[in-house]
Amino acid sequence: MKPPLFVTRKERPNRTTAKTGSATVLLVLFLLAAGAAVVTLKGVTDRAVRTKLPGASIIYIPSGKFLKFATFGYRSLAADAIYLWAIQYYSTPTIDDRFDHLDHVFAIVNELDPRYQDPYEVGALIAVEGARDVLSSSRGRDRGDYARSLIQAAFTILDRGDANNPDQWVYTFNAGHVALMTLKDFALAEKYFERCMKIPGAPEFVERLRANAIFNKGDLKTSWETWLDIYNRAPDERTRRIASNHLYNVKATTDGTALEGEATKYRERYGRFPADLGTLVRTGFIREVPKDLDGKDYLYDPATGKVKTVISPWRR
Amino acid sequence: MKIGAIAGITFKEAKRDRILYLLFFFAAVGIVASRVLAVLTVGDRIKIIKDVGLASISIFGILMAILIGTGLVYKEIDKKTIYTLLAKPLHRAEFILGKFLGLVLTLFVMTAAMTVIFLAIVYAHTLKVETGLLVAVVYIFLELVLITAVAILFSSFSTPILSSLFALGFTLIGHLSWGLELILKKMQPGTGRSLVRALSMILPDLENFNFKTEVVHGLPIPPGIPLSAFFYGVFYTAFILGLAVLIFRRRDFI
Amino acid sequence: MADAIRIENLQKRFRLGFIPKTRQILKSITFSVREGETFGYLGPNGAGKTTTIKCLLGLIHPDAGTIEIFGRPHSAPRSRQALGFLPENPYFYDYLTAREFLAFTADLFGLGREVREERIARLLKLVGLERAADLPLRKYSRGMLQRAGLAQALINDPKLVVLDEPLGGMDPLGRKEIRDIIVRFKDEGKTVFFTSHILQDIEMICDRVAIIVGGRIVKEGGLRDLVSEKVLFTEVTVSGLPPETFAGLGESVSSRGDRVLLKVYDEARVDEVVGLIHDRKGRLISLSPRTETLEDIFVDTVTRT
Repeated sequence: MKPPLFVTRKERPNRTTAKTGSATVLLVLFLLAAGAAVVTLKGVTDRAVRTKLPGASIIYIPSGKFLKFATFGYRSLAADAIYLWAIQYYSTPTIDDRFDHLDHVFAIVNELDPRYQDPYEVGALIAVEGARDVLSSSRGRDRGDYARSLIQAAFTILDRGDANNPDQWVYTFNAGHVALMTLKDFALAEKYFERCMKIPGAPEFVERLRANAIFNKGDLKTSWETWLDIYNRAPDERTRRIASNHLYNVKATTDGTALEGEATKYRERYGRFPADLGTLVRTGFIREVPKDLDGKDYLYDPATGKVKTVISPWRR
Repeated sequence: MKIGAIAGITFKEAKRDRILYLLFFFAAVGIVASRVLAVLTVGDRIKIIKDVGLASISIFGILMAILIGTGLVYKEIDKKTIYTLLAKPLHRAEFILGKFLGLVLTLFVMTAAMTVIFLAIVYAHTLKVETGLLVAVVYIFLELVLITAVAILFSSFSTPILSSLFALGFTLIGHLSWGLELILKKMQPGTGRSLVRALSMILPDLENFNFKTEVVHGLPIPPGIPLSAFFYGVFYTAFILGLAVLIFRRRDFI
Repeated sequence: MADAIRIENLQKRFRLGFIPKTRQILKSITFSVREGETFGYLGPNGAGKTTTIKCLLGLIHPDAGTIEIFGRPHSAPRSRQALGFLPENPYFYDYLTAREFLAFTADLFGLGREVREERIARLLKLVGLERAADLPLRKYSRGMLQRAGLAQALINDPKLVVLDEPLGGMDPLGRKEIRDIIVRFKDEGKTVFFTSHILQDIEMICDRVAIIVGGRIVKEGGLRDLVSEKVLFTEVTVSGLPPETFAGLGESVSSRGDRVLLKVYDEARVDEVVGLIHDRKGRLISLSPRTETLEDIFVDTVTRT
């Protein structure tokens, strides 16, 4: 019998390729699983509350002077980097003790780049906000001292800004603002506004802020003189009117305080408040009844012994 | 001109080095990424962009100068191409100068390219072509030229790794030597003080070429400094190249 | 005629190793190469051949001695203006093409553009690299690199050509080509100075040779003077006769089948042997006198030193 032309052999599956095929599949599955695990874990770590932030070891650098050497000529860049880090750090509310070294961190930034303006203002802002946070948060112990130290840090930063940039008025301005609004330390505010108004480019209303601080401080005499000076030098009608209103207020306060004091003395002598202000003249407590800056009479309430103006100083 | 011929092939060879393009890529990424980084700041964004941009040009330029410069002479010796080269009617000084100029040309091209990207990113933010930044870039380039000379000096007698370390050391010392001035102020007169003063005179002061902060803040540079810093750079470079020629002339190529 | 190369009392020592041990490579080398002659420089490995060449070219600074090239001190770069050099293992810039490399080499000699272009074309043709001229050198085989090396050595139409082992590593056809080129140099009046291990080639083309052993020149002179025409022995091949037939007349080298190979040292005895073969009815297959070759001189000199 002739042998067939084509001999077909029964095909056996190639064991090598089968092994390779299943190995590849396993590898791919492994990669997918590992990748999914990585992504999930990242999400979990991100959501965790941080009590520390990477890079916080900056706090332990003794001073910016040292860092000036370690940055090998890239001081500005290092200042930027630390500043950016600080912004993230201080915006992380879960880090309880983040305000502990606030001035130190910003001192480093300022030392590295004294002419970089943003960090001074922002540092002071963070300090003031921090003080507010500290006071409002309910903690068992007394946080008053801590808040005060933070406000002090704000002043330290702003003073440094002023020292390094004597041509910039914002630092003394901000400092005066903090003294005025947060601390209510009018003498301090006066000092800052006085320095601020001398810097070229300072807004024209700073001298008025100073005058107001003097008034709030209680030095009525100097306050009157200052407002008078502003009134005389006023460059426009609006400024003159504002000064005039303040002068009215100062006079009203001076007169009112004096009159109320005399009325109280009268009560001590006679057992009751005088019926009217003229009584005080007749009984010799005062020489004459003062009139307000517009020449009008003051309003007197014999029941309480209090003196008021007939019109609000700010609505004249 | 023979120096020109050597500079030409050095440029051709340096152009092929992949490190150059890797570093350029990182510099470009850094400059562009500064725009993203700037979003994180509170306040002036352009300052971050300018600081990162100038630092990128500076850092990557220095890396290019060192990594390529330290291999330049060593490769010729190691690959023995130097035999046929020095058998020509060539002064050994012409060889060193040619290598130097070739690398300087390469660095000029790379610095120019990085600067274009930098100015473009700044323009995208401020819509102004801030040519004032070029002052800082020019002096960064002068610093690169000096570091190139140092790299070639070490390459003429040492292996690439050691040469890179020495050149890097030179750069770091160059940015620290200004501290000697502060030390001097605190020292009592005497031999110690004279020694420190002598050191502060001869050690490189690379801070002379650092106008980055002034340019970013728009501050004026004190008059006279740009000119004296420029000549300081030129003469220090010439000195280093002279040293390199001196050492290279005495070498035996076994 | 002036000397192309004049070396007198050349000395060089090397300090090698971490704790420097001094080795005196060249103890005292003196020889001259006259203009127009082809000079072979021989010696065993480590004798100082390559060191001598490197001193000549200014790659190594001698400790003592004078070297002059066409009367000029070798330290002046100008002395190499009319010199072409091919090193033992050519290494060139592998990113350049042969054409670019030759152009660069031409620039180093200060050749003008027209001269450069003409010479490049001519040399590429001479060495047979016309078709590969625009490929980068890193794609070249060793033989091609050797040819490129030869081309760059000739770019300035040198009066003196220095070759370090030019024939090494080439196949017999390549060696013949190089030999022919060197002979052509001689016709063009060029001086050729080269080192080689392949003594047969030296014998074929050199006018004078010097043998260096252990850092000293042990033999120097014209080839014809050194290698006498003296016959060392005569090889006689005989068939049809047993070896014992020739006892006392010569030394039997080998016998296979009915062939005997004899070495006859005494020239006078050769006739006797031939007569004996004829008498005994044997067959004389061949008769070849072996004269002294350069190799004999060389081995003799080296083993004696």
